[in-house]
Amino acid sequence: MLVLFQNLFAPPRHLILLVIAAWLGLTLAERRAESHGIQKDDLNTLAFYGLIAFVVGGRISYILQNISAFAKSPLGIVSINPDLFDPFGGLAVASIAAFVYGQRKGLPFWNALDSLTPFFAVLAVGLVLSHLAAGTAFGMETDLPWGIYLWNAARHPTQIYEVLASLLTLSLILLVKPNTRPGVLFLSFAALTASCQIIIQAFRGDSAFILDGVRQGQVIAWVALAVSFVMLEARLSSKKQREQAS
Amino acid sequence: MNRTQRILLYVLILVAGASWIALSADTGASATTAGPAPQAGFRAPDFTLKTPSGASYTLAELQGQAVLINVWATWCPPCRSEMPAIQKMYEEYKDDGFIVLAVNSTVQDNPFDIPPFVEEFNLTFPILLDETGEVARAYQVRSLPSSYFINRQGIITEVVIGGPMSEALLRTRIEEALK
Repeated sequence: MLVLFQNLFAPPRHLILLVIAAWLGLTLAERRAESHGIQKDDLNTLAFYGLIAFVVGGRISYILQNISAFAKSPLGIVSINPDLFDPFGGLAVASIAAFVYGQRKGLPFWNALDSLTPFFAVLAVGLVLSHLAAGTAFGMETDLPWGIYLWNAARHPTQIYEVLASLLTLSLILLVKPNTRPGVLFLSFAALTASCQIIIQAFRGDSAFILDGVRQGQVIAWVALAVSFVMLEARLSSKKQREQAS
Repeated sequence: MNRTQRILLYVLILVAGASWIALSADTGASATTAGPAPQAGFRAPDFTLKTPSGASYTLAELQGQAVLINVWATWCPPCRSEMPAIQKMYEEYKDDGFIVLAVNSTVQDNPFDIPPFVEEFNLTFPILLDETGEVARAYQVRSLPSSYFINRQGIITEVVIGGPMSEALLRTRIEEALK
């Protein structure tokens, strides 16, 4: 089953999984947008601008980081190679573009994030499935009976752990009823995702390490979890204060 | 749940998270300590192949140089498209210690088509014949072209599946491997 899946979506076909996930996620987000006070058209336009900014921003960020290479080969700027891309730079530019669009359209910030949360959650499933197909984000070697044979060793199936965790997160997000506390859905998703990363990163075989073998990914996830909790509490408290005031 | 209870819960979760991070710290988990595998971070699987003229190349003997292993076939359109860029980059970086091993997937190619192909693109780097599919198996090649950038220590720094690779892509990956 796993081998069939990996053969079917072997790189570069694994990128198809991301495209399918983005489409499914947007469809799901669209269905639930109005319950968060966001019009479907506004959500679609927001996603469209975000996607364009992601693609353009990711390429520009990559060019800026490798400016000498592109100075010698300027045609590479418009090359269709998906490898000439910085996903983190793309994400930053997409976030800015979406924020600017939301402000100009007067979309409530937290409601917009809540309406996009199903999109993020489905995209996360697609991302980890693409890791499973490509054999990236692989686990440490293990003797455990559920280890999978990958890169010439029996390893923790970290990609499968991530698929299960992202499906669980998606299920929990879908179970949450739209409520009157904007931002809680998105921040809960962020906290759940960060918690899963803290646990699963411990079994990864491709981690970057910082002090004394501490995994960089876990530290980033821990900081993200702490920030999510602070903001979650701020959202819950501000709501409570408003209720008390009224 | 009141505010105090919630804050207590957040603190407990964060403390548990920090403890787990400390407990799971492991300096011995680096992939480069493991055996060879065709994936970034691992030692590149070794092989010995011959050129059409009979010269022999062993990957392990090239340690100290940055290597691009490009698995290709004459009938593969993206392989054809990227060859001029690979040749150009080879000429530009060979004096810095960069070499290209163009591994022809001979098990799925016609050996008689190789010399005209090499002549057409004026290729000057070594063309190796994978007549038994040994390299395709060791590198788990599923698509053509497949390219593996290897640094001076023999560690794979990047894998690019599919093509054609542009000059800019080659440049960034070669410069990374040469570091």
